[in-house]
Amino acid sequence: MRNSGFLESLNVFYQYSKLSLKVMLEFKLDRSMITLAIFCREMIAVVVMLLILARFLHIRGWDMNQLFFLYSFLFISYSLFVFIFAGVRDFDQLVHSGEFDRYLIRPRGLLFQVVASKIDLPATLGHGVVGVILFMNTAFSVGITWNMQNILFYISVVVGGAVIQASIFMLTACMSFWAIRIENIRNLIFFNARRIAGYPISFYPAFIQKMLIFIVPFSFVNYFPAQFFIRKEDMNLFWDGFMYMTPVVGVVMFVVVSLFWRFGVRSYSSSGNALY
Amino acid sequence: MALIEVDDLVKEYQLNVRHKGLLGSIRSLLIPEYTKKVAVDSISFSIEKGETVGFIGPNGAGKSTTVKMLTGILTPTSGTITVGGLSPYKDRKKNASRIGVVFGQRTQLWWDLPVADTFDLLKYIYKIPDNVFRENMELFSDILGLQEFMKQPVRQLSLGQKMRADIGAALLHNPEIIFFDEPTIGLDVVAKEQIREFVRTVNRERGTTMLFTTHDMLDIEKTCKRMIIIDHGKKIYDGTVEEIKDKYGRSRVLRVEFSEYIADVQLPGAEMIKEEGNKKWFEFQKDQTQVSRLINTLSQKYGIVDITVQEPEIEGVIREIYQGGIDLNETLSGVS
Ligand SMILES: Nc1ncnc2c1ncn2[C@@H]1O[C@H](COP(=O)(O)OP(=O)(O)OP(=O)(O)O)[C@@H](O)[C@H]1O
Ligand SMILES: [Mg+2]
Repeated sequence: MRNSGFLESLNVFYQYSKLSLKVMLEFKLDRSMITLAIFCREMIAVVVMLLILARFLHIRGWDMNQLFFLYSFLFISYSLFVFIFAGVRDFDQLVHSGEFDRYLIRPRGLLFQVVASKIDLPATLGHGVVGVILFMNTAFSVGITWNMQNILFYISVVVGGAVIQASIFMLTACMSFWAIRIENIRNLIFFNARRIAGYPISFYPAFIQKMLIFIVPFSFVNYFPAQFFIRKEDMNLFWDGFMYMTPVVGVVMFVVVSLFWRFGVRSYSSSGNALY
Repeated sequence: MALIEVDDLVKEYQLNVRHKGLLGSIRSLLIPEYTKKVAVDSISFSIEKGETVGFIGPNGAGKSTTVKMLTGILTPTSGTITVGGLSPYKDRKKNASRIGVVFGQRTQLWWDLPVADTFDLLKYIYKIPDNVFRENMELFSDILGLQEFMKQPVRQLSLGQKMRADIGAALLHNPEIIFFDEPTIGLDVVAKEQIREFVRTVNRERGTTMLFTTHDMLDIEKTCKRMIIIDHGKKIYDGTVEEIKDKYGRSRVLRVEFSEYIADVQLPGAEMIKEEGNKKWFEFQKDQTQVSRLINTLSQKYGIVDITVQEPEIEGVIREIYQGGIDLNETLSGVS
């Protein structure tokens, strides 16, 4: 029974996706240009890094392939995150336009509707392709044996990383329930943290390391998972357990944020949307 | 028990007090101050299955707020609501599958896609069986004329077409109760009439219960037997549309077409309000002056081609109620 409920939901999700795709096809040219723009923007960052690194053989024990392998996690997990959670990313618009009221009068879960109703294929592809390019060029030259166990672990950290990022976005999305808009601050923090996480966190002063572990935990999106695979010396600076924690951090963050979300929905229902 | 029971319903909004200037905003941030705004003030009513009820009141009276509580979007501050035995906000999903909601000011259709696509999606969201879906599509095509623009992107539709499609979308899953919040806003006479006809048909054939918020009295007259009026969050009238017209529409207008032009018509008990060629309009109070007497006087003195008595328009009556010219509490039996 539960199972058939799940399949049924999956089908509804699929129906939503079909419409999102149709909209995208309607604006083929526009969306292709956006995809290309995102791809170029991210690729430029990669090329800049490449030019800087090309002068060195190693930086603090990391060679270029290893650094780009580390970098690839950011793109692949971000791509997965926007693929599924674009609705959460843009949640503030949903509340401020009053559209969210409509979700409340449909016989489906709220988060389900938010997630299902939006797919951002340009961002998914733009980031995803960069991620795959980086991955393909590095994953087989940094000494990883891609056996079953490693493949499964890789998948779990990519999913975990996506969930960590989704949780950060959902936390700020919740603020919309109190009509507080902090998307700008969020984007500032999120994308700068992400940029910092492009390099091994051991390169940074202790307080930035702490921030990327405990506050905006991007270290679990790329640094610790990458360390699991390529085990560099600087891992000695940190607790070994961190290497396995990505899925756990993801789940814990998501559970906590979901509780906050529920609290927010309740508050929304008692205050109403002041803009409508 | 009635299908919808509302008992002592109250909704208070908290409003942030904002102070002016930068210092002011910092102050509001650090020491939030609130004032309360009572939008709905102890309203009670019950609606039986199959009823059509007009829910009217001036701007800001609390109509939309009440509809939002009935549909489970907002939780009441106090008081109880049951809709078909359920609490709309506690049993949100269950309640949602049994109601349909039309917000005239906002569409639920996918803006960039044909209407048909949204309908297909709703079929899955509401788990609508194939045969029900097909039947409804036929009915909507017949009465709402949806097939004409089913394949056009929503953004290209006219306001009236969009509204018709939206109404169809809200009724697709055969809801037991439908809430309309200003479904005829901005529409022309023909489109309004088409929507009223549809509402009547659905109510008649399916026994669907309906609550109707509008500022167009003709909507109410043509679709609703019963009317609830609220003002400043309080219920001030609950009864039939007929009764309010009978009691408060006391003035009548007599329209007379004379056989020739008469400069000065003497008609005691009535007052001339308009004149146009050989036609003249006289207003009189029906409980002070008998219409038969007026007609007698006129026909004895002048040659008359045509004569009609015009009923009061509910619009005028309601306007007077809003402006405080009529105190419903003292005189009407309808309030419970
Ligand atoms: N989210 C909100 N926060 C604070 N006050 C609100 C909110 N929504 C509505 N109000 C206030 O509550 C009162 C009732 O509003 P409501 O929208 O229910 O009126 P209405 O009868 O639907 O009016 P209209 O005919 O203009 O649609 C108004 O004074 C309005 O300003
Ligand atoms: Mg309203």
